[in-house]
Amino acid sequence: MSKEFTTISIPTALFKKIEETIRGTEVSSVASYVAKVVGEALLKAEAEPEVFNKEEEEKVKDRLKALGYID
Amino acid sequence: MDRKFLVIGLDSAPSEIVIDRRSEFPVLSRLIEGGLHGKMRSSDPPITIPAWMVMTTGKDPGRLGLYGFRHRTGYSYDKMWIATSQAFKERAIWDVVGDHGGRSCLVSIPPSYPPRRVPGELISCFITPDQDKEYTYPKELRAEIEAKFGPYRFDVVFRTEDRDEILKEIHAMTAKRFDVIEYLMETRPWNFFMFVEIGVDRIQHAFWKYMDKAHHLYEPGNKYETAIVDYYKYLDGRIGELLKRAGDDTAVLVVSDHGAKRMKGAFCINEWLIREGDLVLKEKPQRGASIEKTPVDWRRTKVWGWGGYYARLFFNVEGREPQGIIKPEDYEKEREAMIERLLAIRGPNGEAWATRIIKPNEYFADVRGDYPDLMVYFDDLFWRSAGTLGWGTLYLAENDTGPDDAVHAQEGMYILYDPRKKESRRVDIDILDVAPTVLASMGLPVPPDMRGKVAGSGLNT
Repeated sequence: MSKEFTTISIPTALFKKIEETIRGTEVSSVASYVAKVVGEALLKAEAEPEVFNKEEEEKVKDRLKALGYID
Repeated sequence: MDRKFLVIGLDSAPSEIVIDRRSEFPVLSRLIEGGLHGKMRSSDPPITIPAWMVMTTGKDPGRLGLYGFRHRTGYSYDKMWIATSQAFKERAIWDVVGDHGGRSCLVSIPPSYPPRRVPGELISCFITPDQDKEYTYPKELRAEIEAKFGPYRFDVVFRTEDRDEILKEIHAMTAKRFDVIEYLMETRPWNFFMFVEIGVDRIQHAFWKYMDKAHHLYEPGNKYETAIVDYYKYLDGRIGELLKRAGDDTAVLVVSDHGAKRMKGAFCINEWLIREGDLVLKEKPQRGASIEKTPVDWRRTKVWGWGGYYARLFFNVEGREPQGIIKPEDYEKEREAMIERLLAIRGPNGEAWATRIIKPNEYFADVRGDYPDLMVYFDDLFWRSAGTLGWGTLYLAENDTGPDDAVHAQEGMYILYDPRKKESRRVDIDILDVAPTVLASMGLPVPPDMRGKVAGSGLNT
């Protein structure tokens, strides 16, 4: 069993900077912003060559929908 | 390695057909009369992906980090990825066989596109996007197969109302697959041979209502009443031919990844969430609109869902989702309240449902990847989950994505025939038991991180 959330410390100055950055945007909190940005950075770092190009992905998705696996 | 092993994978085959109706299938019947057999409890979720990989790696979906065909990319609202062979990092039976100098022949085990490098031969599965992609290992195998048999058939065009056509297509696909398998069996050296026939799943989805008298759309005396059983009889004959080629001393496992049963209908999970006030859209959706293409008011949405044979629910949490609104400290409370509401859902006529709900982060000992907040099996999977919108009702008599008659059942089946033992016994097993059982039977060591037991070892009788 793993807990869904945990806490870390970040510098207050960075926290304030993020607060300013997200003011007036759709991002709901500093934590959401950090989760999004770090998540994207990790994805980029781990990225493997794409298996499907856009057209192939749509084709496979449509097939999986027709087969009842998704949607 | 002291012996050869053949795995005959029948996607979605239930014990209610293969074992309970064995008298109609002489070859399978002979294996049952001389082997261990019974139900095999599938993974959670009991879906083709990840189930075949759970079976061949001996690791559960949490450890594999695979919960279906598609996953959210991180915590984004609109990005998703499809599980391919590259999503499976764990070692499988064929890797252990290869470590000991053995060779494997692997045909259409989902997911095997793009084709992975194996000690032996491989043909990919139905997630191959196109016939003109590389779909074999080694890649020269493709030209050899096509020169002899024409283009390989991965799947059939499904959900067409023309049942005669689909029946013909399924038989043609299966016939070709068995032709190719026989050819590989005769021309390649192998210690481990495994294939998955997806036609079993397809014929059951397309024809279940014609066979099952309990199905709400069953019509007595219809012309397709025996279509499914006739197909199994055909398979039985082809399996008999394979066994002749496999050799007398070869151990054989006939196994499915999950079972099948009649579909009662589809429950519109997102429609329900809208009515409950958990999901707020920015505009009225078109009939049958996909949630991923519908503008959602995320600042007012707490929960949304995905459909398929089971529902995946995602919570919109502050600090996790970009526009999350559930406070992390309220997450467990909200999740508990949602579970209570989901369990209270009844059928269209007020009938009680046996809904099962899983919290992935608690259920799996090791939970990885992009898992949902809740996994929901409406009425023990009898009701599939429709994620699409704009239906104006919570209950659909048919699948939202096209004609369909069957859903998945948690229990699949297996027959383990060992010609050196010839012991007929009914023993139910778990899907995690398969990999250790195969390896032990081949005289190979079972990796310590496979949690399953060796079937028939006395531990699970």
